[in-house]
Amino acid sequence: MDFDLGAEATALRARLRALVSAHFDEGFLGAFTDDPADLAATQAFCRLLAAEGLLTLAWPVDHGGGGGSLWDQTVVREEMWAHHEPRGAQYMGLNWVGPALMAYGTDEQKARHLPPIAAGEVIWCQGFSEPEAGSDLASLRTRAEPVGDPSGADGWRISGQKIWTSYAGMAQWCILAARVGGGERHEGITMFLVPMDSPGIEVRPIRSMLGPHHLNEVFFDDVPAGPEAVLGELGGGWSVIKTALAHERVGIARYARCERLLSALGAELAPHWDDLPAPLHAAWARALVQVRVARLLAYRTVHAQETGGVPDVIASAARIAVTQCDQSVAEVLFSAVEHRALEAKAEAPVHGAVEDHWRYAQAATVASGTIEVQRMIVAKALLRGEPV
Amino acid sequence: MDPVLPDEAVELAEAAGKAFAALGGVDLARRAEADAGVRRAEVVPVLAALGVDDLDPRRDPVSLAAAAALCEAAGRVALPHPLAADLVRDDDGRPTAAVPAEVPRVDHADLIDGWRVGTLDGTAGGIATAAARGLGTRLGPFVGDLTMEGDGRPPLVDLLLHQVLVAWTVLGTLDRAVALTVEHVSGRVQFGKPIAAFQAVQFQLADAAVAVAGLRELAGFTLWRLDQAGEQSRADVLALRLHALETARAVLRTGQQLHGAAGVCDEYDVSVLVRMVQPALRLPAGVDRTAAELAEAIAADGFVGLFDHGGAAIGAAR
Repeated sequence: MDFDLGAEATALRARLRALVSAHFDEGFLGAFTDDPADLAATQAFCRLLAAEGLLTLAWPVDHGGGGGSLWDQTVVREEMWAHHEPRGAQYMGLNWVGPALMAYGTDEQKARHLPPIAAGEVIWCQGFSEPEAGSDLASLRTRAEPVGDPSGADGWRISGQKIWTSYAGMAQWCILAARVGGGERHEGITMFLVPMDSPGIEVRPIRSMLGPHHLNEVFFDDVPAGPEAVLGELGGGWSVIKTALAHERVGIARYARCERLLSALGAELAPHWDDLPAPLHAAWARALVQVRVARLLAYRTVHAQETGGVPDVIASAARIAVTQCDQSVAEVLFSAVEHRALEAKAEAPVHGAVEDHWRYAQAATVASGTIEVQRMIVAKALLRGEPV
Repeated sequence: MDPVLPDEAVELAEAAGKAFAALGGVDLARRAEADAGVRRAEVVPVLAALGVDDLDPRRDPVSLAAAAALCEAAGRVALPHPLAADLVRDDDGRPTAAVPAEVPRVDHADLIDGWRVGTLDGTAGGIATAAARGLGTRLGPFVGDLTMEGDGRPPLVDLLLHQVLVAWTVLGTLDRAVALTVEHVSGRVQFGKPIAAFQAVQFQLADAAVAVAGLRELAGFTLWRLDQAGEQSRADVLALRLHALETARAVLRTGQQLHGAAGVCDEYDVSVLVRMVQPALRLPAGVDRTAAELAEAIAADGFVGLFDHGGAAIGAAR
């Protein structure tokens, strides 16, 4: 029994923090703001991480990565999220588009797509959710029809609508799930790699409290795609999606930002800490405990991954704890700043990070799989007699 | 990084589980309530056979983990014995327990002649002698008030260890309560189907199970922190205690609710577990006092994260 991540992890953490603090000022709140300079700064930071060998630390050496351990990956995930994801929109390409290409891509697809991801030069978005296919993803209806030869050897035309697509407005490529042939539900889903500047693609931003660029609708109207756009087997898209989700098992390290904000706001409030209401002192203590528990459940998932695979229930338990933690901490931080909760950006508490966190936390229990779906997974495992 | 208990601890817990089951499991608590002598006649010899007399959790990390796992096994059956206190013996073999500042009240106060008790702030305590008998109440049948005899405050680290082992005992109770509830809702048929088929029931089960899983990880982490940091781990131990109390409140409530009226009947194990765990939840302090003490401890000493953000919450900034 040992909860020390070791000296290498500590050194990696320190290196990442030094890079972040050298390239971003304290008021940086991520790539998705009204200021285009923020996106540009994250793009430059990705190229820097690539040059330092840190961008693809998690990738296997065979694919030009650093071959980092799962715990190295955990440190990167935590430090990036704690500091408002200075990799901007690229984490999707790094975390699972790349690994899915490694697992299912042809040699040509790998040669074409992996180097730009590894160099920090490309943004990917994912076309999964549809207006009628949210938690029930397998009911998606976007279709790809073959042009000429029914095998798709002459290419495809894709039509349909995707929604909640993050970064669609800034992405160069989309990994798209579409239906091919007559299969029902999981059968017939096929993955396509589609350039976002293809004719027939229209991106419409959805205004939300998360801020600009996060949520979009993407319309595909007879979008042409060559035979080389298909990733994996025709009708085998569900396996690719499962692989993709497997790389996302641990999910976002939301607890890391929670812990950093509790620390940062705690320091700002320190001069008049004793004047705060006593229940807030207790709530603050509870928040620190909840963050610790969420982190430990996430670490349990990483440990399971390291020692032979993660049962769904273990990953879902961590997601439930981590997303609820995010929302509870958001409330405690807001309670602590009182009327200043309504302020934003540089002049607000912790340079606006507290306000930004509260808004973003509102979607925590929905994004990447609702908490209700996670509860269903946990309950079904319990009723089958599996340990949670 | 390895959050898993060592094999030796797991094996001891398995052996203990079998031995406690052979005594009747939760029935043992029912029998002890009817005849307090059962504790000395049946439980003490079984614990001796398991090697409790020779197990010192302060000896090394494996012994510490073994003691924790043993307490979890005891919690699963509401073992009628002050095991957490009994595992933290002083040089003269007296058990160590954390007590309220107002009164030296402990569970099974009549069972062992001499005690060493203290408050969790480390400011008061000493040697105490057994109570003649327990309160005899439904929620504290064996709880009694010791008589303070003299100086000899226990080391703070021993009191912290006692509290960590109590939390492991509570963990065992909660884990068992969830299992009993899963069993009950799977068998209980209403509206033509097991009530486990209702999503409203499933979601409550899921939340309870995730809460217990989180408590288990925190209990493991705190064991490690105690081993690493000794009495510097006071805030960590209070954090574990607070989380154990809050998890208990939520999980036991769910367990009882999903049992229906059976959830308050002595015939059902969940009801006995709920009653017998009360002394652990109320002594030396309940939820809100524990939260206040934790907040003070954090303000004074900080709360070391698993990684450092250049200052732990409030403390380092002051």
